[in-house]
Amino acid sequence: MVRSRGEILFSKIATYLVLIFGSIFSIFPFLWMISTALKPDSEIYSTKPSFFSSHFSLKNFVEVLQESDFLTFFKNSFLVSVVTTIIGLIIAVLAGYALSRFGRFKSIKIAGLSLTISQMVPGVLLLIPIYMIFKNLNLINTYTALILAYSTFVIPLSTFMMKGFFDSIPISLEESAALDGASRSRTLVQIILPVSIPSLVSTGLYTFVTAWNEYMFGYVLISDVAHRTLTPGITLFRGQFTTDWGNLMAASVLAVIPVTIIFAFLQRYLISGLMSGAVKG
Amino acid sequence: MGYLRKLKGETANRISSLVYMGPAIIFMIFLIGIPFIQVIWDSFHTKSLTNPTLKGFAGLENFKQVLSDPLFMNNLKNTVVWTVLSVLGELILGLIVGIALNQRIKGRVVFRSLIIVPWIVPIAVAGLTWTWMLNPDYGIVNYLLVKTGLIDHSVYWLGKTTTSLLAVTFINIWRTFPYWVISILAGLQSIPEDLNEASVIDGANIFQRFCHVTLPGLKNVLTTLIFMHIIWTSVNFDFIWITTEGGPNYSSETLPIMIYRFAMKNYDIGKSSALSVIIIAILLLLFAIVPLAKFATRKIKEVA
Repeated sequence: MVRSRGEILFSKIATYLVLIFGSIFSIFPFLWMISTALKPDSEIYSTKPSFFSSHFSLKNFVEVLQESDFLTFFKNSFLVSVVTTIIGLIIAVLAGYALSRFGRFKSIKIAGLSLTISQMVPGVLLLIPIYMIFKNLNLINTYTALILAYSTFVIPLSTFMMKGFFDSIPISLEESAALDGASRSRTLVQIILPVSIPSLVSTGLYTFVTAWNEYMFGYVLISDVAHRTLTPGITLFRGQFTTDWGNLMAASVLAVIPVTIIFAFLQRYLISGLMSGAVKG
Repeated sequence: MGYLRKLKGETANRISSLVYMGPAIIFMIFLIGIPFIQVIWDSFHTKSLTNPTLKGFAGLENFKQVLSDPLFMNNLKNTVVWTVLSVLGELILGLIVGIALNQRIKGRVVFRSLIIVPWIVPIAVAGLTWTWMLNPDYGIVNYLLVKTGLIDHSVYWLGKTTTSLLAVTFINIWRTFPYWVISILAGLQSIPEDLNEASVIDGANIFQRFCHVTLPGLKNVLTTLIFMHIIWTSVNFDFIWITTEGGPNYSSETLPIMIYRFAMKNYDIGKSSALSVIIIAILLLLFAIVPLAKFATRKIKEVA
């Protein structure tokens, strides 16, 4: 590099300043959320807020877990997200495999195109008709409604993720299995799936996080406490006139824990996936 | 499925391809295709959420009512301000942080992990946490701003007609910019290093390099990001509903919030559907404008 010393020094300092400020900007609300959750009410509602406290306690967490519907919401979110992930993965594997191996057929080309278009239709524009359809089918206030809605909106991207991976698997693998007399479905399950585990994991985690974080359909399609999921659930912790911010921040911390853990894994899988050329786009 | 094995070659393949594709297509037909047709159908009909006897063909009545709604222009303007400022803020922050992360320095991986954090937090949690931080009485943001002398006294950012939309926009930028950073970083890593070195040898300074090497190298990534985020942001319901519900006094209400209000508060499915169709038309127009603009600039260049 033929750069002057001054320029190198300047860009080093500028880089660190940007990254330090960027990191603080990103992480501070997260830390403030944790700090508020741990503080006693007297320090939360103080006109001179401070980050640390000598009275940190788990009182807010205990209250949220024992005196609110938090655990119901958490369980509902978990159930809906897991089932959505399983359904989404099965459909994406099948459709992704068809797109990858049978793209030469016109019917599959049209199917692929309709998935691309579906991916671009914003959910909010279909919110009301989907609500009406589910209402007519008596699906309002059921897990099924959320699972169907979430699966629909993750299928296009999951399918393309799986297709990208299947494209990288040499076709000779299947041809030798076919010569041995294995059917195509058996080949898919016994030969292709075992080598697809990394991309199954990243596609599955993408689906899980999307379902876990979703708010709008959860808010509109569910109106009873027994089926309510976490994201609409915690927004309803906010009262009409007064809000217990300590409890609300404790609930937020608990709601973020699963996605944080998952993301630690997703990052690893995404990087390894990228390196093996499995994940495209 | 034993009989499938007896079929030979392409016919068998053709059938199994349709079997594999089937479930995905069924989902798309029932939960995207039919609702899409339904929304268009409903926009031309009188339909109420609560009163099934209110029905019939309405012609363009719903569209007339939406377009002459005193809040339509206000909300369209809010949607444009919300979208343009969000995308602009995300672009600028994404570029600055993305370029910084692409430098060869110590601790890159740590910085990258920290900067991704907002993007993994659910929008509901992001919205609530910032609502708390922006609280006029006990919020940390007001406290710090007053203490550093940037403002004289606490401001109810999310509760004032002049600042509510800007405050939600800020929260959206905070939550979304990491996505831009990661995409821009991937784009930067595909720019060959010797291109940068060659321009250094040619005596280009930082800003010249940015304009002539970095930006052209990122052209595809940035075009996709801007385009996708214009759509995603303009139709986003969550941020605004969670933080302000469109208030106070409609000062932060955008068109998606208006769809919800028409349907779930006024029980007017016809009007709500007409508004959805109007938004679809606007988005399709946006889709059409970009290729048209490209075509026009090419023509102008050819002439010049």
